[in-house]
Amino acid sequence: MEKPVATLERGTTCSSWNYCGERLAAGSDDGSVSVFDSREPSSSSLTSSSKFKVHETGIVKIVWIPPEYGDAIACICADGALSIWEEVVEDVGTQLLQWKKCKCFKSSSSKALDVQFGVMGRSLKMVTACSDGHVKVYELMDPLELKNWQLQAEFQNVIDSVSSFRKASCLSACVSWNPQKGENQESSFVVGFNSNTPQLNSSKVWEFDPAHQRWLPVAELASADDKGDQVYSVTWAPNIGRPFELIAVASQKGIAIWHLGITPDLDGRLSVEKVALLSGHGGEVWQMEWDMSGMTLATTGSDGMVRLWQSNLNGVWHEQAAFEPTP
Amino acid sequence: MPGVASDSGGGASDSGGGALVPFNPEAQVAVVYPLHHGLKPPVSRLSISWSRGNTLRVSVFCPEPSVDDSGDEPGGKVVEVRLGGGGGEISDAHWRRIAYGSVIPFALLQSKKNAALTLSKMSMNSSPYNVDWLEYVIEYSKDINLLLGNPKLPPSPAIDDPKSVLKKGEEPTSLKAAWELLEIFYADKLSQVWLPERLVDWLADYDCLLSVSHSTVHSKLLSFQGELVRLQIVEDYPKYWEVMSSALAVGWLEIVVKMLRLHGSYQLDQLSNRETENGLVEAVAVLISKMPRMRPELESGKLGECFKTKPDFMKAWEKWRAQLNKLELSAFWFQCSHQQTREGLRNMLQIMLGNANSLSTATFNWIELYISHLLYIRPFTMGLESLYSLAQKCIQLKPMAGAHSLMGLIIGILGENSEVVLAECSRGFGPWMVAHAIELLTAGSDHAEVLLHQECLNLGGISLEELHRLVYAQVLSSHALTWQIAPIYLTSCMKQGMGLLEILLSKQPVQHNHLLLKNIEICRLYDLDSISSSIMKISGVYHWKHGRKDSGVFWLQQARDEVQLNRIAQQLFDSVGKTISDESFKQWEGLIQLLGSESKTAGGLEFLHKYRDFKKSLQQVCDGKTTDAARQAVESLISLMKNPSTPQRFWLPLLHDSLKLLNWQERPLLNVSQTNLLLNKLQELSLARLRPDFIEADLPPEGLSSIRLALATNLGRAFLEE
Amino acid sequence: MAIIGTQESPQVYRLPQYRYVDAVRWLPPVSAFDRFAVVAYYDTDAGSPSVEIHALNPNPSPTLTPQSSWTPPSRISSLRTCPTPLSPILAASTFLGSLHILACNSANGAVIESEASVAELGFHAGPVASVDLRDGGSECVSVGEDGRVNLVSIVGNSSNLNYRRVFDGNGLVGYTAVKWASPTEFVTGCYGFGIHWWDQRKPGGPVTQFKGNWSQGKTSGIIHSVDIHPSRKHTCLAGGSSGVAFAWDLRTPQQPIVLSGIETGGAAIHSLSESEVWEVQYDCYARSSNISNISSSRILPVMMCSEDGILAVVEQGEEPIELMAEPCAVNSFDIDRQNPSDVICSLEWESIAILARP
Repeated sequence: MEKPVATLERGTTCSSWNYCGERLAAGSDDGSVSVFDSREPSSSSLTSSSKFKVHETGIVKIVWIPPEYGDAIACICADGALSIWEEVVEDVGTQLLQWKKCKCFKSSSSKALDVQFGVMGRSLKMVTACSDGHVKVYELMDPLELKNWQLQAEFQNVIDSVSSFRKASCLSACVSWNPQKGENQESSFVVGFNSNTPQLNSSKVWEFDPAHQRWLPVAELASADDKGDQVYSVTWAPNIGRPFELIAVASQKGIAIWHLGITPDLDGRLSVEKVALLSGHGGEVWQMEWDMSGMTLATTGSDGMVRLWQSNLNGVWHEQAAFEPTP
Repeated sequence: MPGVASDSGGGASDSGGGALVPFNPEAQVAVVYPLHHGLKPPVSRLSISWSRGNTLRVSVFCPEPSVDDSGDEPGGKVVEVRLGGGGGEISDAHWRRIAYGSVIPFALLQSKKNAALTLSKMSMNSSPYNVDWLEYVIEYSKDINLLLGNPKLPPSPAIDDPKSVLKKGEEPTSLKAAWELLEIFYADKLSQVWLPERLVDWLADYDCLLSVSHSTVHSKLLSFQGELVRLQIVEDYPKYWEVMSSALAVGWLEIVVKMLRLHGSYQLDQLSNRETENGLVEAVAVLISKMPRMRPELESGKLGECFKTKPDFMKAWEKWRAQLNKLELSAFWFQCSHQQTREGLRNMLQIMLGNANSLSTATFNWIELYISHLLYIRPFTMGLESLYSLAQKCIQLKPMAGAHSLMGLIIGILGENSEVVLAECSRGFGPWMVAHAIELLTAGSDHAEVLLHQECLNLGGISLEELHRLVYAQVLSSHALTWQIAPIYLTSCMKQGMGLLEILLSKQPVQHNHLLLKNIEICRLYDLDSISSSIMKISGVYHWKHGRKDSGVFWLQQARDEVQLNRIAQQLFDSVGKTISDESFKQWEGLIQLLGSESKTAGGLEFLHKYRDFKKSLQQVCDGKTTDAARQAVESLISLMKNPSTPQRFWLPLLHDSLKLLNWQERPLLNVSQTNLLLNKLQELSLARLRPDFIEADLPPEGLSSIRLALATNLGRAFLEE
Repeated sequence: MAIIGTQESPQVYRLPQYRYVDAVRWLPPVSAFDRFAVVAYYDTDAGSPSVEIHALNPNPSPTLTPQSSWTPPSRISSLRTCPTPLSPILAASTFLGSLHILACNSANGAVIESEASVAELGFHAGPVASVDLRDGGSECVSVGEDGRVNLVSIVGNSSNLNYRRVFDGNGLVGYTAVKWASPTEFVTGCYGFGIHWWDQRKPGGPVTQFKGNWSQGKTSGIIHSVDIHPSRKHTCLAGGSSGVAFAWDLRTPQQPIVLSGIETGGAAIHSLSESEVWEVQYDCYARSSNISNISSSRILPVMMCSEDGILAVVEQGEEPIELMAEPCAVNSFDIDRQNPSDVICSLEWESIAILARP
């Protein structure tokens, strides 16, 4: 049933596939990135085509930038630095491909914990979640160059915008954009934190308000008694025609599946409903991913298993299958 | 739901608690599959990613190596798991062939269905499912059936080898067997009168499939055939008689008659002293070959007498039964000295007379028993009446553990339980089967129609039919060669098909033109313009950044992406500006030409075009051409400076390039208003310099002053001239 | 659309291959009785490409029997065959950017006997888009989207091929198709329905250029295939996007003769297809078999295949004749030069079609 696709080098700590699943970027604890691909179409056996040093510290996370902006990745390193690299041919004569550093964000006061990109109309937005509990939204100024980013908004993940938490310290954070790219749809993303500040933790859905050019929290994905729970992971499902959105949120209590309404109420809030709380991984949930139809959720966690979750005809969510890594 | 389903869950339970696939709510544990990665344990972390369709990629990372580790072990593996499609008895390549082949029958049926629906709406006819409709469905079913394998040769006696009782045909597949069952019960409504006989034929074709997990008449026959070659006097062997009774019980008359003729009494040297015995054998053989059968026709080589209507059949049946009885009561049995022959033949008579015990002994599983009951105990059964209760009775008599998927399917069909039928199709044969069998089910069963077409809120407002098509389309999407046919199924999904199609298309790679163009062709067929331009844009940026400027610009133009094209025009401007005097300008010129002069698609490229024209005429001026060339250059300069798409940062370089024109010896080339325009631009620039984002032009130190001077001089000269 | 065919329809045989067919060509005859086809496969299950020679047994219905096989370093992007006085040779290019020349042994059937390749870095950057063998098989031209045009000289069966760069477009121009016109001239197809004409006697760049600038840039496309008839060296045939097939006569370089697809005025003429035309070839199996009778300004009959599954013959000013309409793309085809009634095609759905025209 399983087929090996690529072999990773020693010290590899993270990996990420590009939009079409043809290229894999793998980050290593020595701060280098290897890119795996195949030069012929439809091949599923990949080899390393380039390797480059990104940083002095190990790489924690790699995220591909939407393909409309080239073959490029964002790397988060262990010291919290965030850098953006892209593959280009600099010299047309030799046509030699190389990975070039476009931009590096580094701050002495906070670390980048997660970064995700969203295409909003004609512009590319980058959301970063930082260790001080701040969420930053950047916009790419020049569509052809990935070096010019403008900070557009910065806020903390709280519903009440008045409160501010100066001493927040976050271990991890997770951002997930609404995957829909519709022309007449406002951009939104969901973000959750794993921090010592309960108010920051719960996942909140942020939507861009074009009238006032600002980001507003439109929903909170937590029940009254779960609001302070540390969030490990959030992921927004693709929607191919459901009358509601689907978001999975993982905390120590398990994986919660949320329905999010589409039309806002008078206060601009979206209705939320927790339809399932799934337990399986026991401890921490490392990663969650929806398939392209938004019908199956795949998760991994500290029990070392891959689990697949689906809803049945009665709307009951259950574990459909699990995979146990074996030598 | 995508596929994994195929063998999870706990067997054919009743309705499966509403699950698509039998899923036992009490057993909260999902099936755990091993995921082989070939690494030395332990594993430190996993990372997952869905690829197209149902493909899940798992990266497995090893922990940091300890110091004394040799270090030649890899640090991790990436493995790909394709969930739910295919597998089992059919190879991947064969599944793809089935997938390709079912496209046309499916599409054809959908279009006929749509036409029939429109027609029924027009004529206020309540149901589109008329006789014509059933004809389409049976046509569809036959097309698909043909695709699943050639018509299997029945296990009829071969002419050449008298000792070969089973004929070897193409290996039948459970998939084909299942499809035929569905066809018999749902599609081919007109021949349901002959349902029992159709089931007899079906078992004859597919009994061998059941041998995998259970002993069957077929497996017994097969093993006896192996022995047969070595046997001298067959009638002495009890197995000879057992096997014949079994074959007779399930109606394989040809085999039985052929085997009977192997009886030693037929041998010429024995004929004289075994006359009575031989007479009895022959009598039974003749009665077998004259068995009345209720069916429209018999293939050549098949035994029995064929009757099309029930009254005729009943009459013939009574007569045949009377003959059997007569033989059974005959005195000749006492004259038959060969005990095995006597007992064997009389047992066969009992089978034909419908002795339940004999039938039960002769058959090995409930389906065989069921068929034997239909043949000899309830020969007048028509249609679906009481078929289910009979099946239940047979299951009680011959219970079996670990039911074959075909058996579960038969129970579901006989019980008229569409949920079970769907679940069995899904569990045993996967998403292809379900997506295609739905057409038969909805045509053949009102209950199934309601079940499959009802929109279900828990599924996000789609029907089960749509869900199963989406699931199958996901399976198709998982493979690089079959994703192109997924749109056929997705477009038959009213609610969510297009949504999934858009995602599928935008997840296709763009590097290779051949694939890209196939992708764009699908966008064109389904009017997905925005997807198409987004794909072309991705491709354009990819090629541009990867050094293929020509393809990059081409695709961006096709995508009508003016933002990127304007940026590219700027980049080109820099390059062209740098290399204008070089030989390589010729090369750039080709690219600028490709960029085209059409303002609509090229946007700011219009500026680049004018700039090229300007540079060209300037070149001619430098080459010592006439004033005409200089005038033309001035025209180009003015139109460039007037054009709002000319970036401000290029104004000074342009004016600097034109110094020669501004200081033209013979006479001023610019008139007053033209000179004023240029002076105004200079003024604008000095204001713009105050802004923070101003980019200083790369000019020699005295550049600006010489431009000012030249413009002032020209203005003076122009005044004088006017 | 209505197809008015005066001919009987051809016999079409579809042979499932259970592997993707990247390219297919007839092999020039090695003996009077045997017929062979060269097929480039890609097995997606195993992830392995191969180039195989198959014998064609025409009776009772055509079957292909593998004779010999060679494993290229990656999938084949372009495949050509050519007769030589000794034995037929094949040129195959790959997505990795390498070129391979295979020689067949004519003595024992058709067995791939030797292989020589140019695989060094910098031969092409990225895939080789198209190759063509010069008549006699002494030289092979290769082009790519990187804008490079290379000439590879083939001397005997040497395992070492030499190549020389004729032109390097540095990615500012990309080539998608190539075909020899004469021992010194060849044509290349490119983006924007462009055609470049090259003459080795005038090095440095293309001698003449054509840019298909019809319908004011609303439809533009890529040339996928070019062909030149040995008796009409001044006319280049090209097929590409949007169902376009046209001929470009060097003597009237400003006016292409559109055979199918979009007409200059915007109105479609004899449009067989609106999708990609993957291959065009002059069809030497014309009813009026004597080509010399056709006025030299008239375009000879042309066969084309398309993404929407059409294989057809078009003739200037006449209704096209549809030979085959498949539910899947016809990706390439080849007309047997010795038996022009026979055509072999590669189909998208992992199969090969063989057409026998009456």
